[in-house]
Amino acid sequence: MEEKNIKVLVIVPAYNEEESIKNVVDSVIEQDVDVVVINDGSKDKTSENAKKTKASIIDLPCNLGIGGAVQTGYIYAYMNKYDIAIQIDGDGQHDPKYIKEMVQMIKEKKADMVIGSRFVNKTEYKQTFFRKLGINITSIIIKIMTGKKIYDTTSGYRAVNKEIIKYFSENYPYDYPEPDTNMRLILKKKTILEIPVEMKKRETGQSSISPLKSVSYMLKVSLALILNRVKKI
Amino acid sequence: MIYNFAIIFSVVFILFIINLVRKNKLDEKYSILWLIFGTIILVVSIFPQIIIKVAEWFNVYYPPALLLLFAILVLGTYIVHITITITKQNKMIVKLTQELAILKEKNEKEAKNEKL
Repeated sequence: MEEKNIKVLVIVPAYNEEESIKNVVDSVIEQDVDVVVINDGSKDKTSENAKKTKASIIDLPCNLGIGGAVQTGYIYAYMNKYDIAIQIDGDGQHDPKYIKEMVQMIKEKKADMVIGSRFVNKTEYKQTFFRKLGINITSIIIKIMTGKKIYDTTSGYRAVNKEIIKYFSENYPYDYPEPDTNMRLILKKKTILEIPVEMKKRETGQSSISPLKSVSYMLKVSLALILNRVKKI
Repeated sequence: MIYNFAIIFSVVFILFIINLVRKNKLDEKYSILWLIFGTIILVVSIFPQIIIKVAEWFNVYYPPALLLLFAILVLGTYIVHITITITKQNKMIVKLTQELAILKEKNEKEAKNEKL
């Protein structure tokens, strides 16, 4: 027992991911961590399929969107006194093999949050034009507003320590949570580290960002980020 | 003619709002602004000279423009108030949904453990 038992929880938000959810959860459990699936009011068999695994399943009675779903995971982590929480998407684009490395970095207090990033080194991940544009714009805004550079602002693959679990369980934006929380943590003088991860193309399901909504998305996310400067956070 | 119509309309409007409060379909706190609004319309329809006088004070050349400006300001303020309320309620709904789902999971787990 060189270290007191550190409890690690992996939060898997899932909305209509019946085809991928079981494989994702099983491969995360192989990493020897607790898993909670937040089923965000899916209309398909996401919940049933997730219940075939050893994970805890929280079924939200209605669809809250990604922010509300992920926050449920942080509330659960806080209530059950977890030391480290890791978010990983339910669609299989994040490879769980990086969990160990992320946990290690939080344990060694190298950072308050570790982001699994597509862009720190060039990986094979092919971006759609709009997604790339969205990431670039939010990255530039965060750089201008805080002076810190986050490469993959929209990555939903991240690990946080206990203090941030508590903060997220109380404060978590419903819309554009990833870039928004990245900026908030920088403003709160927390350290964020990015590690390079390979991401797979989505195995199944639809990306939450459709090209049509992209322009509106970019305007709103920019405004939300700029307003963070004057907000009480 | 139009003044008579305006008087009737504002009286009906005020009664309508009072009736909603009476039947518990509208909270008192939301009714106050509407009652003030209705009363002002009523007073102005009975004494239309008021508008002309006020327009003179403000150097407004076309008095009805003042009426429109006033209406837009009141309605605009009210809409902001409503969106604040929606935001607040949305936060409450999310919180309730999250807590409920977590409790349900806990319950199911405990029920399962009792069986074993």
